[in-house]
Amino acid sequence: MPEPRSGRRRLPRRRAVLAAAVVGLSTALTATLSACSAESGTASQGVTLTFTWWGNDDRAARTDEAVRLFEKEHPGVTVRTSNADFGSYLQKLATQAAGGDIPDVAQLDYRQISQYAGGGALMSLGKDIANKTIRTDEMDDELVRTGTYEGKQYALPMGRGITGYAYDSALYKKAGVPAPNPSWTWEDWADANKKIADLGLKAPDGVPVTGSNNGGDNEDVFEDWLRGRGKQLYDGQQRLGFTENDLTEFWTFLNKLRKEGAIATASDTAQADSTETSPLGRGHGAADYTWDATFPGYTTLLGDRIRFGPVPTTAGRPGQYFKPTMLIGVGAHTEHPKEAAELVDFLLNDRRAGDIMGFTRSTPPNRVIADRVAKTLKGPEHEIYQYSQMMESYGLDAPPSAPPRGDIAIQTAFKREYQRVIFELSTPREAARELINEAKRELTS
Amino acid sequence: MSTVSTKAAVRPGPTTERQAPAGRRRTRRERQWPAYVFLSPWMIGAVVLTLVPMAVSLYLSFTDYNLLDPPRWVGLRNYTDMLTNDPRYWRSVGTTLLYVVIAVPLKLAFALGVAVLLKNLNRGRAFYRSAFYAPSLLGASMSIALVWRALFNDGGSVTNVLDKVGIHTGSWIGSPHLAVYAVVLLTVWQFGAPMVIFLAGLQQISPDLYEAAALDGAGRWRQFVSITVPMLSPVVFFNLVLETIQSFQVFTPAFVISGGDGGPADSTLFYTLYLYERGFTASHMGYAAAMAWLLLIAIGVVTLILFRTSRSWVFYADEEGR
Repeated sequence: MPEPRSGRRRLPRRRAVLAAAVVGLSTALTATLSACSAESGTASQGVTLTFTWWGNDDRAARTDEAVRLFEKEHPGVTVRTSNADFGSYLQKLATQAAGGDIPDVAQLDYRQISQYAGGGALMSLGKDIANKTIRTDEMDDELVRTGTYEGKQYALPMGRGITGYAYDSALYKKAGVPAPNPSWTWEDWADANKKIADLGLKAPDGVPVTGSNNGGDNEDVFEDWLRGRGKQLYDGQQRLGFTENDLTEFWTFLNKLRKEGAIATASDTAQADSTETSPLGRGHGAADYTWDATFPGYTTLLGDRIRFGPVPTTAGRPGQYFKPTMLIGVGAHTEHPKEAAELVDFLLNDRRAGDIMGFTRSTPPNRVIADRVAKTLKGPEHEIYQYSQMMESYGLDAPPSAPPRGDIAIQTAFKREYQRVIFELSTPREAARELINEAKRELTS
Repeated sequence: MSTVSTKAAVRPGPTTERQAPAGRRRTRRERQWPAYVFLSPWMIGAVVLTLVPMAVSLYLSFTDYNLLDPPRWVGLRNYTDMLTNDPRYWRSVGTTLLYVVIAVPLKLAFALGVAVLLKNLNRGRAFYRSAFYAPSLLGASMSIALVWRALFNDGGSVTNVLDKVGIHTGSWIGSPHLAVYAVVLLTVWQFGAPMVIFLAGLQQISPDLYEAAALDGAGRWRQFVSITVPMLSPVVFFNLVLETIQSFQVFTPAFVISGGDGGPADSTLFYTLYLYERGFTASHMGYAAAMAWLLLIAIGVVTLILFRTSRSWVFYADEEGR
């Protein structure tokens, strides 16, 4: 605001200067203060909850619709939603958690449970489950247990997922490989890959077609392999459940197949970070280890010849398990624990909410809703539902409890160390030793 | 400058300053405080946003802090772990040094070369100057780094063109031997900022010098080596220090090109990227803080060395005859 100048300019008096400065300062301060408090909501009547998740647009639209229904049934409660992609969501949540400002209701990753529960960022849901504000009777106990930390329930699964193989059934047929069945072994898998590579096919860009993606950089593949041998990734919160020899054997097995040209090259492995960039997605391979939730993406990209089969076993023993795809928890500092718990229950157990959200977070953990929604499924979504039914009847071991907080770092170390192997910067044993050293540091610090 | 002021202070005489009565002095001092009031937002800002965070960061570097639990004092453990027990720390130091040693000279050479060409250019000079400067404005952004990633990836334009001329590199991004050079090229491409400074420096050199040299029979190259380079050495030095400090802190291009994890196989694990990963992915804020302090010290030492060595090769015109 330019001051209108008229006549002789007078020097401002001291008191006026002071007053102006104080006003200026206080507006600056209040501006920042009100910017801060805007986060906590200004609804004068009723209750405002914040609810955040990660995921694609479809998930966002459907979740929002379910939330609007919740608002309609709970007059006076407003739910402010926000979502982001996985990577930035995790970082934002970590920063919020550090500031004691975690949303009232938040979608959580399996790997975050121990860290957040241990750090006091999540509210224990025990009381709400006991008084039936949150109902868990239509969920599998084993799956519900994945949201516990030191015996207390801190989060509940929002979806149930399982690993599998997206494979090109036409190529399998051409190479004379039978369709994968629940008891096929890692040796069968290796043979299948060799047979496909022996066809001598070339992708449109001239790259030889191999049998499968590499998998050695993926901690999930290793976990399936390990569990098939009766072991596990973690033995409690402080110790690994496998040895240097186990990991050396796994990496040697895969690295040998890579050298023989049976599975994806080092370069293809390093560049794969989505359906489109995976060896299968680029036409460089005949199969890709993946999760059921991402499988429909392959058929959209490549057509119906892509089918979903089980992960290989060790002598018939599968390592796969039903894993919570994501969980939902309540922030420890919420001002409205009751309403937050009601929202959690609504999202997990309300029939109409279940119909709206469908399979956007994989199979709903509520069995009744899952069956109900499954009847409407078609195509690849129906296939993964049948697949999970098949694996359920085959018999899988119970899921482990939530991984220790160091797992986030160990997972990235896993990828990196195996990359060092395939780019021949280190041997499988050296890499395994380095991973285990790093894992030990992460688990004990 | 300094000699003048000492003379003024020593010179005795009836200045108003000395004879001013105590009352007037007080007024003078009183008149200063509104200035401080007006300055206070910035002074508070400097303390609250710079000094306090620095002190906190120094404190955190001696603790184990995962963002959620209160920091736990561990003394020098972060520092000793880093230096003796962490192969990735040294990998990140190696990658960063390799990058600084290659990218900085290349970028400065480009900047100087183009500046010399542009200086003698008469038509379209403004256009070229802006065109070459533009990447410096854009280069730090995420989007350019994403474009770069696409260019150097499998099926990207660069790999395709190289394929056509018979050089089969494959994806640069997917190769632990080439990925770092994709980052180097992105930096070199942003030579515009030092170029503009070089241009300004070149215009300060007196044309008389070139005329005199030409009369003595010096050719273009001789003029460049004997006149341009020495006369420009203070500008070279300025750019060198600035670019070196910046290069030690390279982050965005490496973050985007590697997909955030310094891959493949840690080949683009720059110091700051590792620092970021320790702090925000692995939740070891104390360790990250310790890394930041060592980086500060390292940059300080390198800058000091540059200043020391500069005495033997930087030539200031006003030193003439000393």
